[in-house]
Amino acid sequence: MNAVQTFKLTKEFDGLVAVNGVDLEINKGELFSLLGPNGAGKTTTIRMLCCLLKPTRGTASILGHDVVRVPFAVKKLIGVSPQDTILSERLNCWENLALIGKVHGLSSDEVKGRSEELLETMGLMERAKDQVRKFSGGMKRRLSIAMALVSDPQVLFLDEPTLGLDPQARRNVWEHIAGLKGKKTILLTTHYMEEADYLSDRIGIIDEGRVVALGTSQELKTNLLEMRSMVVSTENLTAEVLEDLRAKYSRLEMAKGRLKIYHKDLDFKGIVDYLHSQGVTVYSAALEQPTLEDVFIQITGKKLRD
Amino acid sequence: MKFWEIGKRNLKEIYRNPVLLGFLLGMPLAFMLVFCAAAGGGQAGPIGMSVVDEDLSQTSSAFVQNLGSVEAIELNEPIYSEKSQAREDLENGKISFYLLIPSGFEVAQQTQQTINLELVYKASDPMIGLQLKPIIEAVGSEFLGVTPPLNVELKGTESEIKNMAVNFYFPGIAVFGLMILISTAAGIIAGDREKGFLARMFTTPARPWDFILGYSLPFIPVLIVSTLIYLGVGMALGLTVVGNLGHAFLIFFLIGLCSIGIGMIVGSLVKSESQAGVSWIFIVPMAMISGTMFTVERMPAAIKSVAGALPFIHATDASRAVLNGSSFSAIILDLYWLIGWAVVLFATGIVLFRRTMVS
Repeated sequence: MNAVQTFKLTKEFDGLVAVNGVDLEINKGELFSLLGPNGAGKTTTIRMLCCLLKPTRGTASILGHDVVRVPFAVKKLIGVSPQDTILSERLNCWENLALIGKVHGLSSDEVKGRSEELLETMGLMERAKDQVRKFSGGMKRRLSIAMALVSDPQVLFLDEPTLGLDPQARRNVWEHIAGLKGKKTILLTTHYMEEADYLSDRIGIIDEGRVVALGTSQELKTNLLEMRSMVVSTENLTAEVLEDLRAKYSRLEMAKGRLKIYHKDLDFKGIVDYLHSQGVTVYSAALEQPTLEDVFIQITGKKLRD
Repeated sequence: MKFWEIGKRNLKEIYRNPVLLGFLLGMPLAFMLVFCAAAGGGQAGPIGMSVVDEDLSQTSSAFVQNLGSVEAIELNEPIYSEKSQAREDLENGKISFYLLIPSGFEVAQQTQQTINLELVYKASDPMIGLQLKPIIEAVGSEFLGVTPPLNVELKGTESEIKNMAVNFYFPGIAVFGLMILISTAAGIIAGDREKGFLARMFTTPARPWDFILGYSLPFIPVLIVSTLIYLGVGMALGLTVVGNLGHAFLIFFLIGLCSIGIGMIVGSLVKSESQAGVSWIFIVPMAMISGTMFTVERMPAAIKSVAGALPFIHATDASRAVLNGSSFSAIILDLYWLIGWAVVLFATGIVLFRRTMVS
């Protein structure tokens, strides 16, 4: 049984299709990232999986429990850290954790034990008795994740867990999430490529409500990128050489003595040899590693999203 | 008890917020000081008055006619000849008060003896007697040409009441103040919805009633303290408690619960704290037609019917009556009405809240 499975999951708002027939299968213990531009349908998908939104069509199940028919059973199994860091601002860490833990039916002793462990893990013990309104964004985010974990959920939803954090705080949150890998099934949404790349077992790229690519980061990079690229630092490139290269390869970019060549089956040695044969000075030449961002832009395009 | 945990959270959020706490507890104090200290205002327009003419003489008949011609008074039909019938109608709520012209009225007038009239009114509306007494005495004395002047004796359980105005305004202001809990309760729920806190809580296995009870719970101490402030400040300003203070407290507590219930409903329907301000569209007209500031006697029948169907006028009527000496049995129907409304409002709040938990 999959931890999370969706069946043609669809959500429409006044005729606008936000999520369009999404079929996903997430294995137990897997960290799965939904990557997509703004408005792609990531949060809407999570909201349906958390029983906050009723699908227009299709359904989903969490550990075999249908989110539409038995939402109460689903809610017992999940922990959610929402996109906006939503805490009770005038409560301290202990109280915030106790609220969620006890609403999940934990005893006072269980809540205390879990809270101690989580506050230590998340590095919040020193400030645990302070009202959280005085916390930095990173601390709030860590507490929000701790709140999602206090009930020891089997499935964890992290909606944009590092949105708005500075690089240090982001790295810190990543480490905490990475520490959960294999222990929990995690569905994470993000539009930070490096976050998905760093954390995920598998990635689903979602755009305009549809899952348009699915696989590990490496699979996406190798299978989906049509073109590879290489960068050559040169001097005395002639117009004839450039014209010749343009005729042979898909795309050329030239800036500040750096020539960038894009092509599906890039012949690195052949290009360097050709430049030498034409008397062009080559200071350096390197194949560029494709990034998830390259994949993302290729799949979702460059059009601005709202 | 999930509702208890939600309630504890809300309680802490309120009590650790000095601005909100100051508003909640300072408001009753300000209300009482402003309104009761300034009490004693008059009314405009005629007051419907019933008359019992036991004398049935030419003089008494002419006296009644003359009273009817006074701008501030509108005579109710019929003119009673039996005090018992008027008393029955008064107790049944058909009339608010009556002027008793005793037998021997004409003789007393002709022999220039002191004429004693009685103005008998229900305990919940002592202001009417207070306003009419000087009018009847002045107009009557001039018409009858009696010396010593005509004496109108106010008959009601409130004979011990020192400051009639405070005893009239206090219950109304207290009920109005408790009505404001509608806006506060709705605002707190709507604020949590706007901030996304409710959405987060909706992903937990809590039921709709856990939320309704959890959001109502913190207002219970607010309600108790507010009521104590109202009573305390009211008594310091001259409120006379003739009846049972506990009964008055119970009435205020119940109308407070009704207000919280309405607040839960509004909070379930609106999406933001600013939208919760819409509750004032309800609060202000309700206060106007529920006898909080002035008597509803002269309002059109349709409005009186609307007010009578809602809980607030029952709270103002019953609290005035009980403070002025009415027994528990006299207010029992009002109490049933308030309890019924509280149950209906909370049940409705739970149903509406359930609908908002899934979009």
